[in-house]
Amino acid sequence: MRADLVRGGRFPDLELPDHAGNVRRLSELAGGDPLVLQFYRGWFCPKERGFFQRMLRLQDEAEVAYTRMVSVSTEASAVQAAFRAGLGARWTFLSDERRRYQGELGLLETTDEEHRPYIPTVFTLFPDLIIRSAYNGYWFWGRPTEEELRQDLREITRSIRKNWTAPPPRKGP
Amino acid sequence: MSDKIPRAFLAVARERPPNADAVAEMTTEDGAPQGFLAAWLDAKRPREGAVRVDPRVVDPRGEPMLCSLVLPDGDVSLDFDDPAVVGATRAALGGVWPDLLTTFVRAGYRFAGALTGVRTEARRWRLEADPFAAIFGRRIVRVGPGLLARVPAPTGPVTQRYGAGNPWPWDRFDTGRGID
Repeated sequence: MRADLVRGGRFPDLELPDHAGNVRRLSELAGGDPLVLQFYRGWFCPKERGFFQRMLRLQDEAEVAYTRMVSVSTEASAVQAAFRAGLGARWTFLSDERRRYQGELGLLETTDEEHRPYIPTVFTLFPDLIIRSAYNGYWFWGRPTEEELRQDLREITRSIRKNWTAPPPRKGP
Repeated sequence: MSDKIPRAFLAVARERPPNADAVAEMTTEDGAPQGFLAAWLDAKRPREGAVRVDPRVVDPRGEPMLCSLVLPDGDVSLDFDDPAVVGATRAALGGVWPDLLTTFVRAGYRFAGALTGVRTEARRWRLEADPFAAIFGRRIVRVGPGLLARVPAPTGPVTQRYGAGNPWPWDRFDTGRGID
């Protein structure tokens, strides 16, 4: 993995087609919210199918927590769309079928010469794409637990929401 | 990050409103007149019956669309947090995104329907799959040029509105200060 993709570094503002074929930019997808950015091998990998169950549980919390999620692989958009639908995922998938960023990010998994997939990696990002945490998931236990993701998202949210503490009652006239 | 949310309103009108920022003729699929669909930007509610919408759906240079219009009569509405509304929002996020989708806000914070649009006949099936139609019922209409824009799908999976008075899927807080 590229050496600067660590806490405090800025993640590149990727521009890739989503699962519907529309070109999206990572900064647009992040908007003003914390972002969980996942690079995954592909639908074929049982470890990924196992980890996606974790992402799906997170989805049910993220949907009320103003938190966004993006998953990236080298599969074609149509393949991602089918996988996404089968999972029941309600977030955006980005297709790097042309491997535009794989080398640049240093995330080519060389041990799989057939699929040449992304090394499973998860980043938690601030809205400006600054990295809070990077998780190397080449071995399954390297992937973030749900609690680790929650702690990251809590810290990011606490930092970006200036009214983290509820405002006091307004004074009367 | 700070974005000022412009206020946009949509209303069905029998006559073409002279003061609207964007207007399009509305017909049935067979072409029978259904009045006009009109939009106002940066306004307080411009007329009775107008609902607040995601401002990105308004484009005076917009192309025609085939739409599923879910708009109950009178002041009928639901709480936006009603499980039916949340369920429809989830279904919209998990499915194939249309070319346009906005929920309607009435009375400042109530769910009053939705507009789903597609640019081509080949995507008409997406209107049949409109999850919001299960809440209030809908009609399929053709909206002419001059009103509607394509809106990209939200990132997901957020189903909440960014501020109680704002429609979904608008996806930014107004001032960057957090929940308004």
